[in-house]
Amino acid sequence: MMKTYTKATLQDYGYKDYKVLKKTYNVLSKIILALIILVLYASIILIAIQSFNSSSDISTFKDFTFKWYLEMFDNRSLRSAIINTLIVSIVATILAAILGTIIAVGIYSLAKKKRQTTMLFNNIPVLNADIVTGISLMLIFSILLPIFPYLFGPVTIIIAHLFFTLPYVILSVMPKLKEMDPNLMDASLDLGVKPYRGLLKVVIPSIIPGIFSGMLLAFTMSIDDFVISYYTTGNGFDNLSIWIYGSIGRKSLTPSVYAFSTALTLVTLTIVLSYQFFKNRGNKHVKK
Amino acid sequence: MNKAFRKLSYPYLVWLTVFAIIPIFVMFILSFFNTEGLSFEGSSFNFNSFVTVADEATLVAIKNSFLYAGISTTISLVLGYFVAYQLFKSKIKNKLLILTIFILPMWSNLLLRTEALGNMMEHNNIITSLLARININFSIGIKGTPLAVIVGLIFTYLPFVILPVYTALEKIEYSLQEASLDLGLTEMKTFWKVVFPLSLKGVITGSILVFLPSLSGFAVPEILGKGNVLFIGNIIEQAFKNMNYSFGSLLSILIIVLIMAALLIVNKVDKEGETLL
Repeated sequence: MMKTYTKATLQDYGYKDYKVLKKTYNVLSKIILALIILVLYASIILIAIQSFNSSSDISTFKDFTFKWYLEMFDNRSLRSAIINTLIVSIVATILAAILGTIIAVGIYSLAKKKRQTTMLFNNIPVLNADIVTGISLMLIFSILLPIFPYLFGPVTIIIAHLFFTLPYVILSVMPKLKEMDPNLMDASLDLGVKPYRGLLKVVIPSIIPGIFSGMLLAFTMSIDDFVISYYTTGNGFDNLSIWIYGSIGRKSLTPSVYAFSTALTLVTLTIVLSYQFFKNRGNKHVKK
Repeated sequence: MNKAFRKLSYPYLVWLTVFAIIPIFVMFILSFFNTEGLSFEGSSFNFNSFVTVADEATLVAIKNSFLYAGISTTISLVLGYFVAYQLFKSKIKNKLLILTIFILPMWSNLLLRTEALGNMMEHNNIITSLLARININFSIGIKGTPLAVIVGLIFTYLPFVILPVYTALEKIEYSLQEASLDLGLTEMKTFWKVVFPLSLKGVITGSILVFLPSLSGFAVPEILGKGNVLFIGNIIEQAFKNMNYSFGSLLSILIIVLIMAALLIVNKVDKEGETLL
């Protein structure tokens, strides 16, 4: 008589059923992810709520109002701080984009060993503590003061911003240079194009996405900077961060600054999203 | 690339030397003289600032900086890795969009965000006021404590760890994971034995990018700690404000030494700074 065995299940072969566990993990991780993103945005959301609050008391919400948006530029010191911030960031970003690209090409054409050393030095401003960078620049500018009196002000702050934004442009242009087909440049030289013309007509177009992302980073760093600006600015040339720091110290922060911040966030969001939209459309056209 | 372009990088080396290297020497010299600002008049070579470092207040600030920056870096690293890994798994190909999501909060002013966060940490704030309208009453009220500073540091610097880790994860070839799964490792083991070691580059750069600014910054501890929690940055700031350049320089040198170490580590794991973005 034949003995009947129970049919072996997958578990008997050592298979463990993780389906339930996996599902809970997936759901849980989505929730945590959403929570973290919410937390990152918590302060911006709070700023936005504050900007619609009719009471200038930060601890109570009275009524919904657009008052602060309309009065945004009425406060003279705030207005000039905003204008100063924009001037500094825009000038520094444009200079960083142009000079950074040129320098990146220069570094890229160095021999490998030298290139790596240069990149090590290029990382100094990126990794350096803001306070050390700020003080370093202040010391250098102070030493130069006998030669250039009245140096502190827009010039020093722009040089300082250029100093810490340049490395970001270089860092984002460099990978694009590496991705580029080196034959392209040789071909253009063979065809009789002068080196610098080749740079402009062949190299720049193929690394332009890197330049743009570098500019985005540079602008982000520049517009948000406080410590370095704090040490390198001169009398009366406050940017927004310095103005806010002063106001927090005096406990006189006007809600208009919350309104400005919210408006700026919305504008940048729109710009980035529309850039995204047009880029996608552009890609589709290319594929056709 | 054409060798003629090499000379384009030379002015930058001069620029870096002037603004990054020379100041270190200036600070080094300053830390041995009791100058009033930058004027050496009537100053003498001494070790006064070295004595001041041994002060109770300074030592506490140094301890605070290392301890709280360390804690917030560890937590940021865990959370940041988690976020980066989820994004990497989600197979969203659009890197710019991801960058935007995490960079966007950085576009509003850091001090303003910190101040808003500080308001949220008060007993009575706008959120509790709004919630009280629908009859929910609660308050946190941790502003002025080390916990507030740690939370503030995490909120501020979390994006700095997400982005490098994401960049490192993105560079891992999927075929490696496929091979590991094919060879019978579970997903968990594949993660620990294949994915995680390959992403270490990003983890190291990310933790440095969080640790250094947390340790040296002075705005976050000042606003959220209400002056109760002092970091090295606060002491340096006060020293330079009081024209005690000597003491300030000495503490800055301490931070510079840390940064040098960080530079060498980054240089070791990431020769051309690919994960720094």
